[in-house]
Amino acid sequence: MNSWKLKEIVVMSVLSVVFAIVYLAFLPVGKILVGFFGPIGYDLIFGIWFIVSIIAAYIIRKPGAAFLSETIAAAVEVLLGNAVGPMLLVSGMIQGLGAESAFAMTRYKRYDLFTLMLAGVMAAIFSFVWGYFLSGFAALSTGYVLAMFIFRLISGALISGVLGKALSDALAKTGVLSSFALGKEYRRKRAA
Amino acid sequence: MFLHNVNPTVKALTIIGIVFLLAFLFDPVTPLLYISWTIVVTFLFGTFKKKYYIYYFLSFLLFAFGMFWTTLVFSDTSAPSGKTLSLLGITVPAENLWVATSLGLRVLAFATLSLLFLFTTNMVHFILSLIQQLKLPPKIAYGVLAGYRFLPMLKTEFQQVLAAHRIRGVNKPKTWKEKIVQYQRMAIPLLAGAIRKAERTAVAMESKGFTGAKDRTFYRPMKVQRKDWLFPLMMFGMLGITIALSVYFGYFSFYDGQL
Repeated sequence: MNSWKLKEIVVMSVLSVVFAIVYLAFLPVGKILVGFFGPIGYDLIFGIWFIVSIIAAYIIRKPGAAFLSETIAAAVEVLLGNAVGPMLLVSGMIQGLGAESAFAMTRYKRYDLFTLMLAGVMAAIFSFVWGYFLSGFAALSTGYVLAMFIFRLISGALISGVLGKALSDALAKTGVLSSFALGKEYRRKRAA
Repeated sequence: MFLHNVNPTVKALTIIGIVFLLAFLFDPVTPLLYISWTIVVTFLFGTFKKKYYIYYFLSFLLFAFGMFWTTLVFSDTSAPSGKTLSLLGITVPAENLWVATSLGLRVLAFATLSLLFLFTTNMVHFILSLIQQLKLPPKIAYGVLAGYRFLPMLKTEFQQVLAAHRIRGVNKPKTWKEKIVQYQRMAIPLLAGAIRKAERTAVAMESKGFTGAKDRTFYRPMKVQRKDWLFPLMMFGMLGITIALSVYFGYFSFYDGQL
């Protein structure tokens, strides 16, 4: 934790707070989808709920960024009030651990599109196993659960991995990230 | 007022513990009893605006009903008894109704427990307590507190960016598609502004001597006192009594390969 600058921590928290609101805003969207398709509705857009861990890790590039940012976002969601209750904090931590595991696999050295998508997929796997126990997916038919799982994987890779990278890159282009790892990489690229 | 004075960390851990235990129960009666208990405790020992509580509760009730409904319709439970029920024009096996009700009520039980915490806890006290009781690093905790303070600011920022867009000739969105495009247009300026402010805040904190060192002193010391243990005792005790009651009346069903 000592390798973190205060600046990085505050920026990570702010990102988490912003995305906590986005997360809460997407709950009713998920609910509408559930109304149309059943429980699988959430899985179609589940990737949105991992996005902050990918963005924070991609921008800051320090061990723990994915886990901490997702945990803080979940904590803020709990503090703002939501129907899932304090259990959401644990869900957030598990999703964060999932994303973190992907970055740990590359020993925090690679931050390309593949790694970011892998982080989304890992978060999807972790969160699905957790959701299986917490929400009683076992009550649903096996084929349906399998379909849920596959959709969640795809959504994790695309929404959190690809969209997360695109958002961070767009932010880096504005120059606000110039003192963070991603911004520095951009500067190096431009200089080269 | 009793609930407001319980140490926030003790309160949070108690609620997380209860939620964890409730997640293993698969009958509707135990959660229903426990929901009633939680609501009674919240109203007896807490002071807050009842209107807000009811507003939150109703929206969570809707969510719980959604959970009930989807489980009912998509449930996989085979019906060995062959009993079926007809509900709002849909015929479902009786077992499904049982499982669906228990899952719906479980969600509601989680919701009432988190409402108990939310309506009786000061967030700054909670974070201070996390630093002092759970040894959360002050660097993270104060960083998060600073970030949390951005919440109301983001709203004003949003309105400013919106106004700026309007002045420059972006029309009010009329259709759903235009609304989505508007949010896309807002995302980057909002985030960029927030990051700039966060960076400035961090610099300000450091220039005023914040190092994030663990051996700091506190203006508001948070302690765990003996009376704080009354809350977990009460909550876990009642969970035990509820379970005993539903076992006695033969409703109880524990985790038994349902997963």
